Amino acid sequence: MSAALLGIVTALGDDELVVGHRHSEWTGFAPHIEEDVAFSSIAQDEIGHASAYYALAAKLTDDGADRLALGRDKDEYRHAILCERPNGDWAFTLARHWLYDHADALRLEAMEETSEAELRGIVAKIRREERYHLLHADIWMQRIAHGPVEGRRNLMDAVGRAFDDALGLFEPFEHEAEAVAEGILPVGSDGLRKRFLDQTSAELDRLGFPTHMISTADTEFVASSSGDLLVEEEAGDAVEHQGGLGGRSGRHSDDWSPLWDDMTKTYRENPGARW
Amino acid sequence: MDTYEVFRRTGHKEPFTHCGAVTASDPGMALLLAKECFLRRREGEHLWVARRSDVHSFGDESLLQIGTDKTYRYPEGYRDVVAKRERARARAAEVAAS
Repeated sequence: MSAALLGIVTALGDDELVVGHRHSEWTGFAPHIEEDVAFSSIAQDEIGHASAYYALAAKLTDDGADRLALGRDKDEYRHAILCERPNGDWAFTLARHWLYDHADALRLEAMEETSEAELRGIVAKIRREERYHLLHADIWMQRIAHGPVEGRRNLMDAVGRAFDDALGLFEPFEHEAEAVAEGILPVGSDGLRKRFLDQTSAELDRLGFPTHMISTADTEFVASSSGDLLVEEEAGDAVEHQGGLGGRSGRHSDDWSPLWDDMTKTYRENPGARW
Repeated sequence: MDTYEVFRRTGHKEPFTHCGAVTASDPGMALLLAKECFLRRREGEHLWVARRSDVHSFGDESLLQIGTDKTYRYPEGYRDVVAKRERARARAAEVAAS
């Protein structure tokens, strides 16, 4: 059993499960009925991806996928803090969805070359669905970014608040050096982080959003290259900046405990039940 | 926001058939939403959307009603043609013989 492989598969599964669970909280509450269906569907996809990762992790450890998903203690989860943040409003949800799926697309692209055949198989399947997620996030971002100023400002502010947390997706995995040496992880987290910064800053620039927020998310916004002068709004109150790090070693934010409680409650009531 | 009519087909030789409608801001958004609303269980392999206002129809549907006998436009109108021809041939033979 490779501890390095297990570390990666667990972190990826946890990211997908937790972000998928947050997405699913919109079911019944999304801005309109068609989006409700579309976003719920994306939530289901993410949980399906988590299930594929957990199945592999369960095989490696002779455990059960359901127990891995819902039967672990709080500090055993390795998802990035970004994933556990409350949905807040649609702007924050969209900003998180956009940042998460761009990051996910980059790491999956790199992982297609992994030396682990089973992981490669999972990644190939997941990538097909992730194309839609990315398109969904991009289309929504474009529509709001080019729409009325109020929505545009809300979204810009939300991207600023989510950005630091998003970098937590590139915090090194457990045993990462070993994973890179063995070819399990063809591109290390630091390399992926650079690609992510390049890609998102180019995209934000194209959307006419300030890219200054990328280096330090809480400094004032500056004029974008499109010439749009963007004034900083009052500081958002929903999400604090904690640098977004710690998730990969099980050090989560205060948002995690109530979410874990909610997510795992049914399972913990009767751990032996078969579903 | 506009209403978009959604069409899908099950195979590349099949015709597109209407399957419903979505409300969306533009065609790209309509496609994005239609995919998950109407093609989430492998119901088809291709999708079209068209703005409802781009679909044209007669203002007065009564124009489409048919008043007089048009049975000649249906195959059923020709069902007994073989028997009729046989009888005509028989009559022609009788006339020729007399």
